[in-house]
Amino acid sequence: MPRPDIATTPLLSVKGLRTWFHTFGGIVKAVDGVSFDVAPGEIMGLVGESGGGKSMIGFSIMGLIDPPGRIEAGSIEFEGRDLATLGEDEMRSIRGKEIAMIFQDPMTALNPLYTIGNQIEETLALHTMLSARERRMKAIEMLHKVGIPQPEQRLHHYPHQFSGGMRQRVVIAIAMIAQPRLLIADEPTTALDVTIQAQLLRLMRQQVVESGTSLVLITHDLAAVSQMADTIVVLYCGRIVERGPAEEIIARPRHPYTRGLIDSIPHESDVDGAKRRLSQIPGNVPDIRRLPPGCAFAPRCPRASELCRTQDPVLSERECVGDGSGPPRLHAIACHHPLTVSP
Amino acid sequence: MSGTRTGGNAPLLEVRDLEQRFDVSGGLIDRLRFSGGRISAPRRIVHAVNGVSLSIRRGEVLGIVGESGCGKSTLAKTIVKLNEPTAGQILIDGEDITHHDFTRMRPVRRKMQMIFQDPYASLNPRQKVRDIIMEPYLESQGGNVPDRAERALALLAKVGLGTEHLDRYPHQFSGGQRQRIGIARSLSVQPDLIIADEPVSALDVSIQAQILNLLMDLKDEFGFSYLFITHDLSVVRHISDRIGVMYLGFMVETGPTRTIFSAPRHPYTRALLAAAPQLGTKLGPAAGQLGGEVPSAIDLPRGCPFRQRCPLAFARCAEERPALLPVGGGQSVACHLDEPAIADPAA
Ligand SMILES: Nc1ncnc2c1ncn2[C@@H]1O[C@H](COP(=O)(O)OP(=O)(O)OP(=O)(O)O)[C@@H](O)[C@H]1O
Ligand SMILES: Nc1ncnc2c1ncn2[C@@H]1O[C@H](COP(=O)(O)OP(=O)(O)OP(=O)(O)O)[C@@H](O)[C@H]1O
Ligand code: SF4
Ligand SMILES: [Mg+2]
Ligand SMILES: [Mg+2]
Repeated sequence: MPRPDIATTPLLSVKGLRTWFHTFGGIVKAVDGVSFDVAPGEIMGLVGESGGGKSMIGFSIMGLIDPPGRIEAGSIEFEGRDLATLGEDEMRSIRGKEIAMIFQDPMTALNPLYTIGNQIEETLALHTMLSARERRMKAIEMLHKVGIPQPEQRLHHYPHQFSGGMRQRVVIAIAMIAQPRLLIADEPTTALDVTIQAQLLRLMRQQVVESGTSLVLITHDLAAVSQMADTIVVLYCGRIVERGPAEEIIARPRHPYTRGLIDSIPHESDVDGAKRRLSQIPGNVPDIRRLPPGCAFAPRCPRASELCRTQDPVLSERECVGDGSGPPRLHAIACHHPLTVSP
Repeated sequence: MSGTRTGGNAPLLEVRDLEQRFDVSGGLIDRLRFSGGRISAPRRIVHAVNGVSLSIRRGEVLGIVGESGCGKSTLAKTIVKLNEPTAGQILIDGEDITHHDFTRMRPVRRKMQMIFQDPYASLNPRQKVRDIIMEPYLESQGGNVPDRAERALALLAKVGLGTEHLDRYPHQFSGGQRQRIGIARSLSVQPDLIIADEPVSALDVSIQAQILNLLMDLKDEFGFSYLFITHDLSVVRHISDRIGVMYLGFMVETGPTRTIFSAPRHPYTRALLAAAPQLGTKLGPAAGQLGGEVPSAIDLPRGCPFRQRCPLAFARCAEERPALLPVGGGQSVACHLDEPAIADPAA
C-alpha cells in the first residue's frame, strides 16, 4: 500500500551498517547491522544505552572511523552516493558543508590553540565564498543566535575561557553555519540549562522547517527527543531494538528495554515518599565483545524465555496501534515477546 | 597544624562571600588592538562568581542549577582549590582552606573529591583506566597499595563497567563510559564530600538511575554529602535536599527542594522551571521563552543581574542590586519584589 508520509525518497539511507573495532581483546561490534532512512526535513531521534553505538553511527556517516575501527559492511547512501565507499578527499568536500556533526565532546571538536573566532571563520572560508569581513559578521551573527553574549569580544577568546555550555553552543554554531543538508547532533544540549536548550532546539527546528535540513538527534534526554523527533530509533548493544513514530515509542513502547528506559526517568512522585530509589533495569550491559547468544537484552529482561536465550529476534515491522486517524504508520520491534498495548 | 576548628556541629562545607574573577584582557598587543591603539585600554575581567555563600551539612545534598555560563563549574573548581579565590572564605569541617597550597590540600582531598563536567578533558589520555581511577587513593596512601587490582575492579563494578575496561585508554570509551570513570575515581577514597559537576549528563536514563541510586546509598551508608550541579531538573529534584539557583555568578534563590519546585519566587527560577521539557509534549512556539539579551559576565549590569530579561523588572531593579534575603521556610530570594518591606506578610 503506498504511504503518503514516505512519498519522498530519503536523503540518507543507511543499510546493514556494521562498524567494528578490532582490539586485542576481541572485536567490539559497536554498530552491528543498523538500517534506517531519514527523509528531507525529517527529525530522527537516536536514543539508547551509553556505549550502545550512537556516536559511532554518526562517525560512520561522517567518514571519521579510525583504525582499529572499520566499516565492515553495509551502505550509507546520501543523495545517491554511497558514503561508505568514498575516499577521504571526497568525504572532505561533503563534511562540514553537506553533512555536519555536532560532536558530543565539545573540547575534542575545538582546537585549544585557536580563538573560537578563528575556528568559525575557518569553517566559512572552507565552505563559502564570503570575504573576510563578511565571515566575521556572519560569525558574530551566529554566536548571537546561539545565545553567546557580547559575541564581538567573545570571538577573541580561547575555548578554555568558555563554560561547558558555551563551548557546546560554539560547536553548534560551527555545525550550522554552512547550512548543511544533514545535521547530526550528538548530545547537543546536555551541557545547557533548559531555557537555552529550548532556544537551541527551536533554532535547529527552524533550520529543518525553513531549509529542509534533515536532523539526526542523538540524546539521552527522552523528554527533549519527544519534543523534537518525528521518528525515534532505540539502540541496544549496537543494534536497533525498536523504531517508530516518536509519539508511539514514548507513549506505547513495546520493547522491554525501551520500557525500562522510560521507567528509569525520575518522577515528581519519587521525592521523599518512597525514599528515592529509582527503578533501574537489573544487571549491566554485557561485554559487547562477548555477547550472549540470542537476544542481547535477555540476561536483563523480565520477559525473557528460552527462545530469547537461543535465537536472535529480528527487527520486524507492524502497524502502529495508533488512534486510527491518518495513514497507517510502522512500528518495528526486535523482540520475541513484545509488550502488548491496548489501543 | 590545621586551621581553626569550630565545634562538632560545624557544617561540612561552608563558603562565605566567594568571588572568582578571571582576567581576559590578553597581552598588551591584544589590548591595544581592541582599543583601537589607545594605550589606556581597559582590563577585561570575567566576574564568574560574585559573592556566593552556601553551606552543606554532613549527609546533605545541595543541588545547584542555573543558566549555562553562570559560574557553577567555577564555583565548584574554586571550592576544591583548582582556582585561587579572588575573595571570600572556604571552610571544610571548620578548617579554613581558602589559602591552602597544593601540599596542604593533600589531606583535604581525601575528604573532598570532584567529578568534572568535561570527562574527556579531565582524564589523562595516556593513562589506563586502572591507574586513573586509583589515583586519588594512591595519593592518599603514599603509593603503597597491595590489593590495587581488586580495588580498581570493585570501583568499576560500582559504576557498571566490567573487567574488560581496566586496561583501556580514555579515547576508547563512549561519552557516558568516560563519565563513569570520573565517578569511579572520585569514589576511590571514600570522601565525605563529593563536588559533582554534571555527573550524569552523558548517561542514558537507566545507567543514570543506577548511578543516582549508588550515590544515595553511599549517602545513607557512609553519610556522604554532595554539591550536585546539574541542568536536569528531574534529577536535581530527585536527589537534592536543598537547591541553590544561580544567575550570572550570583545566588538568586535557595531553599528546600520541595519549596523551590512548588513555590519558586525568583522570576528566573520560575522561567527555568517553566522551560523544563515534558515527556511526550512537542516543543511549543517561542512564547513564554525568556526574552532579552543574556547579560555578560564581562560587563556586569548595574542593579539586578536578571533585570534585562525579567518580565517584572521595575525602576529600582536598574539602580540597586537585590541582596539574598530570607523569606521564611528556609527559602531565600534575591529580588526587590520579595524584600520584607514589600513582600506578602503571609509568606
Ligand atoms: N577506539 C575504540 N576502540 C575500542 N572500542 C571503542 C573505540 N571507540 C569506541 N569504542 C566502543 O564502541 C562502543 C560504542 O561507542 P559509542 O561512542 O558509539 O557509544 P554511544 O552510544 O555514543 O554512547 P554514549 O551515549 O555513552 O556516548 C562503546 O562500547 C565503546 O567502548
Ligand atoms: N579560565 C577561565 N578564564 C576566563 N574565563 C573563564 C574561565 N573559566 C570560566 N570562565 C568564564 O566564567 C563564566 C562562568 O563559567 P562556568 O564554567 O563556571 O559556567 P557554568 O555555570 O559551569 O556553565 P555551564 O553550565 O555551561 O557548564 C563564563 O563566562 C566563562 O566564560
Ligand atoms: S527478545 Fe526476549 S529477552 Fe529480548 S527483549 Fe524481547 S522478551 Fe526480552
Ligand atoms: Mg556517544
Ligand atoms: Mg559548567
